[in-house]
Amino acid sequence: MAQISIAGDTSGAITIAAPSVAGTNTLTLPANTGTVLTTASTFGGTGPAFSAYNSAATALSAGTTTKVLFATKEFDTNSNFASSRFTPTVAGYYQLNASVFVSANDAVLLTVISQGNGNSKSGSAVNIATPSQQCSVISTIMYFNGTTDYAEVYAYSASAVNTLNGTQYTYFQGALIRSA
Amino acid sequence: MLYDKIISIYPELSEKDFNPFTGTIKLKNDSDGKGDYIAKWEHPTLAKPTEEQLA
Repeated sequence: MAQISIAGDTSGAITIAAPSVAGTNTLTLPANTGTVLTTASTFGGTGPAFSAYNSAATALSAGTTTKVLFATKEFDTNSNFASSRFTPTVAGYYQLNASVFVSANDAVLLTVISQGNGNSKSGSAVNIATPSQQCSVISTIMYFNGTTDYAEVYAYSASAVNTLNGTQYTYFQGALIRSA
Repeated sequence: MLYDKIISIYPELSEKDFNPFTGTIKLKNDSDGKGDYIAKWEHPTLAKPTEEQLA
């Protein structure tokens, strides 16, 4: 039988609680040293997540990089999405997805996830011949400092077009996958 | 639109000049009601249009 040693506590109490249901519960620790639990506010499984979509078309001027508007939120677990901008208040690494559709196949569409700190990730368009559309999708991982970093979606089109609005067409999503 | 005004001043410009990654000119619109603006003008030979030219 190995010894159980609790180190590092200075005051208060340490409580190991069992669920309030009948049964046997086993906590198995790995044969490694490290942090296996962290606070709920920073743990990836309970971190911020949002999904919003373009519910009214955004007009993209020709030759202009235009901020895409996502007026309708499907969910925003930590209230970090406002004015089509995601500003997470928990530092860490976030998976971000963005999709922009337009009803034109000659638009030379490019989509950019832009961070306030100057970083950006881009995706180019794929033509959809029937119906005549273009779709530009980005899937990326970005670090946010939890205070000033934010992300917005911009789209560039060589010709003047409107985004195709709807939750399945033009959307912006993100979730914490690893705390800082 | 700003793009059309610039093209009318400099017809020799093409779409490639405005590409946000490879072009030397970047037009931007932050969808805040303030409209299109020139965010970057680094064209090697053509001067940035003046406000009077764009009016």
